[in-house]
Formats: sequence, C-alpha cells, structure tokens
Amino acid sequence: MAVPMVQSIHRDPALFYWILFPISIVMILTGVLRHYATVLLQTTPKKQELPALREQRSLLRGINLRSNSSAIPSTAFASRRQYLVSAYKDGTFLKDPENRGKPAGNPMTDPAAMEGMMGMMKGNMAMMIPQTLIMGWINAFFAGFVIMKLPFPLTIRFKSMLQSGVATRDLDVRWVSSLSWYFLNLFGLQSVFIFILGNDNAANQMAQQMSQMNPGAGAGMFQPGQDADKMFQSEAENLEVVEHEYILKGVEDRLLA
Amino acid sequence: MSLSSLLRQSNAEALSLSQQTAQYLRKHASTGISTIHIPFLSYPESTDVWLMYEKLLLSCLRTGDDKAAFNCLEKLIDRFGATNERVMGLRGLYQEAVAKDDAALERVLQEYDEVLAEDTVNTPVAKRRIALLRSLSRTTEAIDALTELLESSPTDIEAWTELSDLYLSQNLFPQAVFCLEEVLLVAPNAWNIHAQLGEVLYISAMNGNESSEGRSLAEAARRFCRSVELCDDYLRGYYGLKLTSDRMLSTNPNDTRSTGQVATVDNGELPVLPTAVVRRLNEQATFKLAEITRTSNSSCNVADINAAKDLLNRSTQRKQR
Repeated sequence: MAVPMVQSIHRDPALFYWILFPISIVMILTGVLRHYATVLLQTTPKKQELPALREQRSLLRGINLRSNSSAIPSTAFASRRQYLVSAYKDGTFLKDPENRGKPAGNPMTDPAAMEGMMGMMKGNMAMMIPQTLIMGWINAFFAGFVIMKLPFPLTIRFKSMLQSGVATRDLDVRWVSSLSWYFLNLFGLQSVFIFILGNDNAANQMAQQMSQMNPGAGAGMFQPGQDADKMFQSEAENLEVVEHEYILKGVEDRLLA
Repeated sequence: MSLSSLLRQSNAEALSLSQQTAQYLRKHASTGISTIHIPFLSYPESTDVWLMYEKLLLSCLRTGDDKAAFNCLEKLIDRFGATNERVMGLRGLYQEAVAKDDAALERVLQEYDEVLAEDTVNTPVAKRRIALLRSLSRTTEAIDALTELLESSPTDIEAWTELSDLYLSQNLFPQAVFCLEEVLLVAPNAWNIHAQLGEVLYISAMNGNESSEGRSLAEAARRFCRSVELCDDYLRGYYGLKLTSDRMLSTNPNDTRSTGQVATVDNGELPVLPTAVVRRLNEQATFKLAEITRTSNSSCNVADINAAKDLLNRSTQRKQR
C-alpha cells in the first residue's frame, strides 16, 4: 500500500488575515445588526378585544371541564355540562354571532391576520437581504480561494461541506474554501451570539427557522381562518360523551391503605 | 433573594426583603436607563430584575416603607411606561396604600373607573378596582364586578378564588362551593384549594340544616382526604380532617345503619362515610397532626402550628373528661 501523500499548497499567509478574519467579523457584525434591526422592526402585539378573549377562554373552560371533570361531584359536573353544551350550541360565546354559519373569510382580508403576516415578512426580509448581500460579496471577491487547512483528517463526505466553490476532485478534504467558511459561520455562530447578545437574540437564522417550525405556541388557540363556531360545536360533542368519574370516590380508603 | 410567591411570604420575610430595597436600588441603578444595551458594557437585561422590582414594591408597601416603594414604582414606570397594564395596576396599589382616608380611596376608585371606561380589557386595573370595592366594604358591588369579569374570562383562577371568598363572607355557601369547584377544574391538583373547599363545606355543614349536614360533612372529609393525598403532611388538610371527623363522631357516635346505607345510595352521590372509617381517619389525623407539630420547622406558619396544637389539646381534654 502506498503511503498517503501529504498534499501541500503554498499559500500566501495574507490569505488567512484578509479572507478568514474579514468573513468571520462581517458575519458577527451582521448578526448583531440584524438583532437590533429586528428589535426595532417589531411591532407591539395588538391587544385582543373583549369578545375575542371571551370566545377563547370560554372554549378553554369547556376543555378544562372535559379534562378535569373528575375533580368535581357528578351533580356539579352535570349542571356545568348542560350549561356549556347548550351555550356552545347556541353560539352564546361567539365573537360575532351574526357571522355564524358563514364560511370563514379569506385570511388575507382580515386586518389582524394581515398584520401578523407583515411581521413575519419583516423578520424574513431582515434575514434574507443581508445573507444575499454577503454571499454575493464573497462570491465576487473570494470565489475559489482555499484559505486554511484543518489540523485533523476527515472523510471524503465532508468534501461538499468544506470545499464548495472549489471544483477540484483530488484536493484533500482538510482544505477549506472561502465559501464554505462562510457557510460554517452562518450556521455555527449561534453560541457566539448568545454570548454577545443574550439568550433570546434574533441574530441567527437557525433559531428563527426553529420557531417557524412550531408556530401557534404564542399565537393563541385560534388560527386565522379557523371557524370558532365549528370548534364550539365539536367541543360540545366532546363534552356530551364524557364519562364522569369522581376522584373523591374511595379517597378515604386510599388514604388509610 | 428568593423569588418565591408573595402569598407564601411570612411577615419576617417581607420585612427583610423590604429592608434590602435601598441596597438593591443602588446596585441596579444603571439598568433600565437605555432601552438598547451595549454588548460587553452592560449586563443583558433579564426579566428577573423587573420581577424583583415588583416584589420589592409589594414588600415595601406591606411593611409601610412607602418611599422605597415609590422608587421601585418609578423604575417600573421608566422601563415599561405608565400605560402598561401591569404597571397601572401596581400604581393603583401604591395610590391605595398611601391614601389617607376614604375620600382619597374614592378618588382612586374614580380613576380606575375612568381607565376601565377607555379600555375594558385592562384586567389588572379591573382587579384592583374590585379589591378596592371590597376594602371599602361595598361587597355586593365587588361581587357584581367580579362576576362581570369572570363572564368574559371564565378561566381566571385568581378571580374565582376571590369570588368564593366574597360569597363566603356573605354566607352564600353553595355559590362559594361552585367558585372553588371552578378553580379545581383549572387546577385539579391544587391541594390547598381542595382543603379550602373542604373548609367551606364544613362551615356550610355547621350553619346548614340538619338533614344535609351528614352529607356535607362526608364531602368535606373526603376533600381533606384528597388534599393530604396530594400533599403529604399538609397541616391544613389534616387539621380539617380532624375537625370534620370529630364532628361526625360526636353527632352520631354509634351509627349502625350506615353499613346498610352504602349499598342503597346510587344516584351519583357518594355514600356517607361508615363510622369505623371515620374513626380511623380521625386517629390518623390526630397522629399526623401530633407528628407535624412536633417536627415543625421554621418554614411552616407559626399560627397554623399553634392552632393545631390547640386543637390537639382540646380533643385530649375532652377525652379525659
């Protein structure tokens, strides 16, 4: 077996100082700037009107009654169920009772939903524009530079990760190209931002993508375009089939056991 | 400094906390001046600081240090603005605390009314208004306002508990029970609420008519059982259990028909407790109370411990006689 040949490329050491550091610094600075831009662009969350609040919480009350029914006696449960089911069926708690039965409007026409979307747009824009600019900058100035050699060996799979922009088949995987360095920075600076800006920063795009994966955590129970009346009807049906079990039944035996 | 709940704070804790206020204010003098902090030059702003200010404000008001309280309030207003709902509530609390007489309180009440006329969803101020109505001993108005509040937000535990307390003060026991049940629907494992419900049931059994007394007492005893099942060594639960079982034993010491009754009751209601079970519950409660009072440490409320000791003494005296 042949001894693996050690590749050596004669690089100007200035490459290191004039490409590696500038890219890193620019990435960090844009992250910080983006954080502040997002803070400034944020609109204060709009307050909910009283009927909307009532609608949500009344539904929540039904859900609570269904899931925690065991805490109250069966007579108390029965009277509450009767009240809630009939109120749900009549649409007593609805935000706008006259709109009942009509199909839900286009979320685009709802000003509240529109505002939420604008907020999301702003966040995405603050993310995309700097990324496009920086990538363009790197492509224009530093395309195809090999800027450093990693001090440890890697398998061939890492080639696409570390050598994007350098189309050479035989180059050792340990060499890192400038464009790859940019990508590594883009995805790997989260902990640096946490260090500089604190925990809930808006600098890194990964965090934002994570939050987009599970929306609705802070947005309340009603998504725009969802029909509240239908939710009430289904909750009424759920309530009707609940089988009641009282938790105090036999509690004295449990305690004495 | 601990950030434990203010409701569980003893007087001594509140005092020590309020005595630290001046120091704390000096230490955190710089925070809150700039809205955007500079990395590395200032600490990142955390919500803990503002929660701390809120707690200090409440502790200071409680211990009568109005000046320090005002400083805390000013900090909060500087940071969140005077129109922030929570800050408005705290500001109202401060104004109530420094009000000299009823006329001043009435003025504060008027202010609340004005705020609520503009913004109907301002829950902190609405709650302050209710509390103020109560302290002006206009209980019926407070109850009306609370029911209105609960109409629009029926999952508010705090409001339900307060309403139950108000009903209890008016001797409206079924309503008080209803409110506490509503609390349990939101927080089914709250042992203190279970015990509180047991207390209300016990009081209603004491004040009610003869026919329903046994049923209410059994229900109360079960509530106390549940509360100590959820929380071992819960003093209030065992206290109530002992009180209830004492009462049950004294009203029908040798109830023989209870065994036959168990089978017949089948309308969803729970049967009355058999006497043997009541006796065993009583024994266990006595045992546990003695144990808790013996091994009590400083974390427990002293008044509660003394009450428990008193109850134990009384029951032993009765036995000796």
